[in-house]
Amino acid sequence: MSPAAVRENRGSQVVDGDPTDGHTGLARVRDRLVDGITAAVQHLPAGELVEVTLPLLRRAATHPATVGQDDGPFAWKPVFARRSLGLAAVQACAEGRFRGPAEAVGPLAAHAVDEWRRTGWRTFHWEPWFAGLGAGARAAVLAEAATWASPLWASADWCALRGRSRIGGTDDLWTCPGPRTVRLKGRCEARVAATTAAGPGDGPGTPGPALVSVSCGIPRADWAAELAYLALVAALRDPDQPVPARVVGLWPEAGMRRTAEIDEHLLADSADRVIGAVGLVARAHVGTDGDGGGPVDAPRA
Amino acid sequence: MVTTESPGGVRHREEHHRGERHGPDRGVRPDRAGHGAETWASGWQPLAGAALLARLRVTGRARPVADPVLVADLRAHVEAAAGVADARVVGLDASPVGPIGAPITVTKDRLTRALACVDHATRERAGRREFSMPLACGALVDVLFRQLVSTGSIGVAMDDALDALGIDERQAPLLEWIASLAAAERSELRAEVDRQAEGLRQRWPALDPAWLPRTQECLRVPVAGGGIELLARVDLAIGRPGGAEATVALVDVSSGSRRAVHRADRQFHALVETLRAAVPPFAVATYYARTGELDVDPVTPDVLVAAARRCRVGTEALVAPGSEQRSVDRGRSWCAACADSPLGTAEPVASTSCERPSVPPVTAPLSIGEARWSPAGAAGRSTDDGALPFLEGRAA
Repeated sequence: MSPAAVRENRGSQVVDGDPTDGHTGLARVRDRLVDGITAAVQHLPAGELVEVTLPLLRRAATHPATVGQDDGPFAWKPVFARRSLGLAAVQACAEGRFRGPAEAVGPLAAHAVDEWRRTGWRTFHWEPWFAGLGAGARAAVLAEAATWASPLWASADWCALRGRSRIGGTDDLWTCPGPRTVRLKGRCEARVAATTAAGPGDGPGTPGPALVSVSCGIPRADWAAELAYLALVAALRDPDQPVPARVVGLWPEAGMRRTAEIDEHLLADSADRVIGAVGLVARAHVGTDGDGGGPVDAPRA
Repeated sequence: MVTTESPGGVRHREEHHRGERHGPDRGVRPDRAGHGAETWASGWQPLAGAALLARLRVTGRARPVADPVLVADLRAHVEAAAGVADARVVGLDASPVGPIGAPITVTKDRLTRALACVDHATRERAGRREFSMPLACGALVDVLFRQLVSTGSIGVAMDDALDALGIDERQAPLLEWIASLAAAERSELRAEVDRQAEGLRQRWPALDPAWLPRTQECLRVPVAGGGIELLARVDLAIGRPGGAEATVALVDVSSGSRRAVHRADRQFHALVETLRAAVPPFAVATYYARTGELDVDPVTPDVLVAAARRCRVGTEALVAPGSEQRSVDRGRSWCAACADSPLGTAEPVASTSCERPSVPPVTAPLSIGEARWSPAGAAGRSTDDGALPFLEGRAA
């Protein structure tokens, strides 16, 4: 990655300037990724699923020995619900329905629970859990979501970006072709289409969009490669669309905002990290199979 | 959340400090149990509603503006402790602060412990926390305050608070401890939580959502290349972050009595927020849920410099080899417990028995920042070399 490819900034604008052309050898990176992953999982038992996420990449970089360990049964808690509710709050504020996330989270959560009770449809998945909480616990969930969403809401003029931004939305998914299932999942908090002389657009030939990612804590040394992972998955999912031109990372706790300008080097760096993480997971699986016990990362076939 | 265990509270120490406060007159205090303090003998009553907000928002001083030079100086001053930190990170010191190689986390409580004099020094205990009624009350009032800010209402206070703590797995040991209380103790705790919750309900107005109220906001600042991490969690932050002028106020809520260390805690919050956002908060405050008192410190370069110096000395004490001996050397100059004790000094003073810590003065750029921010308060403070002399005096 060239030093010029990334920059650190602290201003108030998330999306600034004209994104550059994002097509930077995606096909070469894809081939490299497929080859690397295929080699990494060749000893993995048939039917095994490996899912790569940004948290997994971080864990592989910081605590490789824990990759593949069981995290225990899932249980809802405020920190899990805050993102989905917080994103809905930012979206509602951008639409002018509320003046801030603190005002939005309560009505949005209540509406979601009402809808779930009426139709059975779960907008956020956590509605049954939330509905079963006492008043104090519900307030804690709302407070967590409002506090999480406020820095994102303050990071850009989302009202002005209406029409070219998508806040939240579905995760980007890409499955690596091959005999073993390796799925890459990318989750960004917002996506902003680039503007051209002809106006916003996302078709072939237009500059790639900007992605926005919100993370806890302090950016690590390899923050650019982490951010590039989101661009990599988004580009792999929609190869006909422009490669994201940049990924803006927000670390609200540290008050930091950094931008990774996406180029082939950065995508390749990110792909190498994916291959390394998949290799760690595969070794953990194989080691588990060899000694008959120990950690597992994914459901067995 | 701050909890204090000072029996009667030390109410007037801060009159000696420069912080501005809203509280009862000298010598007037609640009854012995600390209950029923709504109206004081002097007629003083806690601020409520719009008046409380106005007290928080209008400090009487110009709001700070972004000053990159000052921020860089503050950071450099704190990072001066990094030489010690670097030594530890590479394994030269087996300090109990954290695992070797991990960043040294500096919090307000760790600073206070590290800066305690030898008479008041307490070791940081790893593992299971020791609980007490004040600590439990603090945790319960903390979540109730958060609930009030978020939803505008509190139902059955104790039940709501236990509900809120119940979904935080880190609070499981505290909940177990509360559940193990005898009926009389639990009843006493419930009564105090009810009383403080009622005070919150009556006094705290709804906050405009456009101010982006955030509760339990975590502030982190890596310094010295990540070798040190300043960490703070504020009970309430209001104001839209960003921009060239300060728009953020930070509030800590205390269920206990006023103590001198709370001012140092506020200053630490101001420092961390300034380093984090590159723009200082315009005010840092402590709200005392037990009495309704509100202490507000306008944030000036003086405040930030004082906080940076204390943070540097405390960080060095945290990580330096032989820090216990250094605690003797520091004497009582930074000790919060000494400032709170009846015979203690409210402010650090020079004495022949206390060696002056070897902290170099912060120089010229800071006085430039002061002149820019505080036209009413900074005149005549610069020395020939541009340093701020009062800090050296206080630190002696």
